[in-house]
Amino acid sequence: MTVFELLLPAFVAALILTGIHAYLGVHVVERGVIFVDLSLAQIAALGTTVAYLLGYDLHSTAAYLCSLSFTFLGAGVFAMTRVHHKTRIPQEAIIGIVYAVAAAVSMLVMSKATQETEHLKHMLVGNILSVSWPEIAKTALLYALVGAFHFIFRHRFLLISMNGEEAERRGWNVRFWDFLFYVSFGVVVTSSVAIAGVLLVFCFLIVPSVAAMLFAERLWTRLAIGWSLGAVVSAAGVMLSFELDLPTGAAIVATFGAALLLLAGVRLLLPRRTA
Amino acid sequence: MHTAIRVRSLPVYLFALLLAVCWSARAEARLRVVTTLEDLAAITRSVGGERVEAFSLAKGYQDPHFVDAKPSFVLQLSRADLLIVAGLELEVGYLPPLLDQSRNAKLQPGNSGYLDASVGCEILGQPTRAVTRAMGDVHPYGNPHYWTDPENGRVIARAVAAKLSALDPEGTAVYAKNLAAFEARLDAKLQEWAAWMKPYVGTQVVTFHDSWPNFAHRFGLEIIGHVEPKPGIPPSPSHTLATINLIREQRVPVILVEPYFDTKTPKSIAERTGAKVVTLYPSVGGTDGIEDYFDLFDFDLKVLIEALGGDRP
Repeated sequence: MTVFELLLPAFVAALILTGIHAYLGVHVVERGVIFVDLSLAQIAALGTTVAYLLGYDLHSTAAYLCSLSFTFLGAGVFAMTRVHHKTRIPQEAIIGIVYAVAAAVSMLVMSKATQETEHLKHMLVGNILSVSWPEIAKTALLYALVGAFHFIFRHRFLLISMNGEEAERRGWNVRFWDFLFYVSFGVVVTSSVAIAGVLLVFCFLIVPSVAAMLFAERLWTRLAIGWSLGAVVSAAGVMLSFELDLPTGAAIVATFGAALLLLAGVRLLLPRRTA
Repeated sequence: MHTAIRVRSLPVYLFALLLAVCWSARAEARLRVVTTLEDLAAITRSVGGERVEAFSLAKGYQDPHFVDAKPSFVLQLSRADLLIVAGLELEVGYLPPLLDQSRNAKLQPGNSGYLDASVGCEILGQPTRAVTRAMGDVHPYGNPHYWTDPENGRVIARAVAAKLSALDPEGTAVYAKNLAAFEARLDAKLQEWAAWMKPYVGTQVVTFHDSWPNFAHRFGLEIIGHVEPKPGIPPSPSHTLATINLIREQRVPVILVEPYFDTKTPKSIAERTGAKVVTLYPSVGGTDGIEDYFDLFDFDLKVLIEALGGDRP
């Protein structure tokens, strides 16, 4: 096997992840729910843990369905807890609480298990090098479906993310659309975390979107910048990990950080935007 | 005058009473042994029989390097007469604070209630020169998974028998008898296992971590590589590539994995090479059917031989 054969699936997987996450990242940043992916990933992991204890294999369909239904539950919670006008409790607080409680409950469930559950601890640590072609194909299909769903209802999702009050004024059922948003988001995050791990998925989600906001306001410009950045950083990160002999996922994450720093520097040198 | 005598002799009575109570309790009670591994507990039960009760901190399905401390551990340690550790810094990550909290001076290293089971065992992987950070994940005292060689189990059993006899001299004869029975069974089993493994001596294997040198050494396997040199850190592309090519070139049939790691990375390597991922249990209690130290090798060798294409013995 050559280097190329080993790194190609990882690179293609990174491209596919960039495709959906750079888009979802725009929503996440606009809504200010930065850590929602960690929270949903942790809930999904709790679902898998429960399925495992019920006797299903970790990578079986039943385990996937169980983790999916837990994700739906999380989506329901996040849809119901949009910024509360009376109490001013930020949604990020709810997200953090859900994360901590889901992680703790997983631990409790595992500690009472009478079978080996130790490897469940490694569940949120992905290894993008170990992704296989069939897995890539399956994931690409899933993300295409979610992407199509978002494209069809783009006006609803975008207005709610960017201007929730206006959406409420129009009499839309914001909670319902929020639920759909978090469900589709949860479906994506659950499978991407399984491939790439929590850290890398977080970067794919947030960094392209934030970097694009440095330079552009319009949605499609931001998406174009985000996708380009994601692709370039993925390629650079994969190459660096090979040249410097480093774990691939962590190398891509660090490259994302360096790229953002670089772009922020460039932004400082550019003339100020006239808003 | 009369009262004075009574008052003065009260402490004497009390002391005598206390002594009598302790004595009778001691005759009833069994030696309380806490071990860090279920393997050590299993061997202790074989040697101690009815005279001891053994409790293991790490369960057989847990990674023995990282054990989540529970309140019950401190309680067990505070009441224990004897602590048996694997040593070689295997427990350095969790045991010292538990031991401090237990406030049980007997169990402190060097005291009468402390036994380091590694003493006298054949320890592999001891670095021949001074360990530096540059060498990476090298263990300064050698590989701590030495109980996966049953001959080391014999050494451990002897040390346990000697320690139990020192703590409980009345049981010396029982411990000697139990030890003899353990060793006799071990001798028979060693012959049986060697016969099972005879067709496979010299088989090259790749392991997930460096946890199996003693097992491989005893049963004639040759470990030629590791998938993930450091736990929890995914291997780099060049290491993964080297492993894949090594498995392909040498036609390595199996990748051995401990049960407490996710099989994602080894499975992806297996898919690209045609090798099989085999879960071997490093400890007693790792899964149903591994109840004592002999079951451990029965189970692992059967799984291994089946994976190598042989008939399950």
